Amino acid sequence: MAARPLVTVFSLSGEKSGETTLPAVMTAPMRPDIVQFVHTNMSKNNRQAYSVSPWAGKQVSASSWGTGRAVARIPRVGGGGTSRSGQGAFGNMCRGGRMFAPTKTWRKWHRKINSTQKRYAVASALAASAVPALVMARGHKVDDVPEIPLVMDTSIESAKKTSAAKDILASVGALADVDRASDSKKIRAGKGKARNRRYVLRRGPLIVYKSNDGVEQAFRNLPGVELCCVDRLNLLQLAPGGHMGRFCVWSQAALDALNDIYGKDGKNVPEDLMANADLARIINSDEIQSVLNPAKRANKKYLRKKNPLTSLKALAKLDPYAAAARESEQRAEAARQGNKAATLAKKRGVAKAKKQYKQAGKDFFEKISKQGDVCADGFNIGL
Amino acid sequence: MVAAPDSLVWELVKNNNSFMRKKNGRSSRSGSIRFSVERGNLTSRSTYKYSGLANSKTIDVTATDDNRATLTLKTKKAGTSGKKGMTGIALNKDFRRTEKTIKSQATDNYYRPDLKNAALAKYTAVYKSNRVAKGVKKVAPVKKGRN
Repeated sequence: MAARPLVTVFSLSGEKSGETTLPAVMTAPMRPDIVQFVHTNMSKNNRQAYSVSPWAGKQVSASSWGTGRAVARIPRVGGGGTSRSGQGAFGNMCRGGRMFAPTKTWRKWHRKINSTQKRYAVASALAASAVPALVMARGHKVDDVPEIPLVMDTSIESAKKTSAAKDILASVGALADVDRASDSKKIRAGKGKARNRRYVLRRGPLIVYKSNDGVEQAFRNLPGVELCCVDRLNLLQLAPGGHMGRFCVWSQAALDALNDIYGKDGKNVPEDLMANADLARIINSDEIQSVLNPAKRANKKYLRKKNPLTSLKALAKLDPYAAAARESEQRAEAARQGNKAATLAKKRGVAKAKKQYKQAGKDFFEKISKQGDVCADGFNIGL
Repeated sequence: MVAAPDSLVWELVKNNNSFMRKKNGRSSRSGSIRFSVERGNLTSRSTYKYSGLANSKTIDVTATDDNRATLTLKTKKAGTSGKKGMTGIALNKDFRRTEKTIKSQATDNYYRPDLKNAALAKYTAVYKSNRVAKGVKKVAPVKKGRN
């Protein structure tokens, strides 16, 4: 954190009126786990004790009837003349008896939290309030806010009228969050509505000031708006619900005071576990890339299987000669086709010759097998 | 404001943020689906890649009220400012031209080349819905018995 970035300071009319450096706290590590732990314990600290009356269910002089009377053995109210007599008493199962484990006022209502943890949590919450993404994620409407953290001129501390306060917030785009809070006002669900907690609404911006010259009274009536002095930053306000990222509006004096509160003489700013948490940059840095093995080739893509008996391309993959063989076969076939007539004729000629030859033999046989006198022609077999 | 790094913001935001919507999943694998509806999330999915909160560079294509489309990109100032964190580019030309715009915005300077296809796909959907809203395109009625 060598040179810390500059934060614009806005005048009450919304224009840029100066700059300050970002306080060191805003670069503290953001630890949602610590914030959640501290918050759950801190929120127990303003509880009021409750308990049942210490003598509830015990103001009876009942005793058990023992065995042998065909009744259960719980203590029963003595006496007579009233429906109460003979009824069970004292047990948690009995009507009008004392409850199981009557609640006591000396239950541990409050929690001690280590100071270091409390400070760590506040530092984390402050750091988170400086990240627009986290503030948006918490639900605040900060789309129109020119810069986060939002720092206003110190003269905001002497605002006197609520109407002026509203205009101040509007000029800086913070009114959207206030509107969000005021639109969300609903009657509470549950018994709380009958116990002086009738309405619920969202939390709006938190105005942080150094000295109160009227801010408190000017801003406090705006729905959702809360005020806080820098010296007394409250985690329950910085991380409502245990969730970091409250939308804070600082006065310049307050922001600068943070440098004193969290500094060498003041409270310690916790250290980051990772100096550079940007994983993408680390992975892509030269130091790492130069030492890595070369990237592995992605797995071969498995395309649909093609049957080599029906697909020529698939066959060619398996039998590279198949194409050539097929071609020569086709050529031979074509040649054969061409010679078909000639070969046919030849065959027919051969067949004919054969036939003729056979016929000649038959004729001869016929001739010589004619009945007749052999010596008629003088022993000449005249043919 | 040391611009919290993307991966860190994602770790902080992935399990709870005000934009998360959990809906019933209807597949055999998922009981619930997680959506995330922040500005800058292209597919409304709740993942690091598409998150509009965690990434310092995002692309989003949205329809405006008057049935036109806008391309929003995160600027360098997103780490400090809410207002100046996003710039919008109106997509009013014909489909082919805007397709080119989206492609170039996504891939020039290696802005977010991994989102190029998703951005184009979303533009198609937005374009179609705009045309339906204007009445130029009619939606084919779903036949009865098919859902």
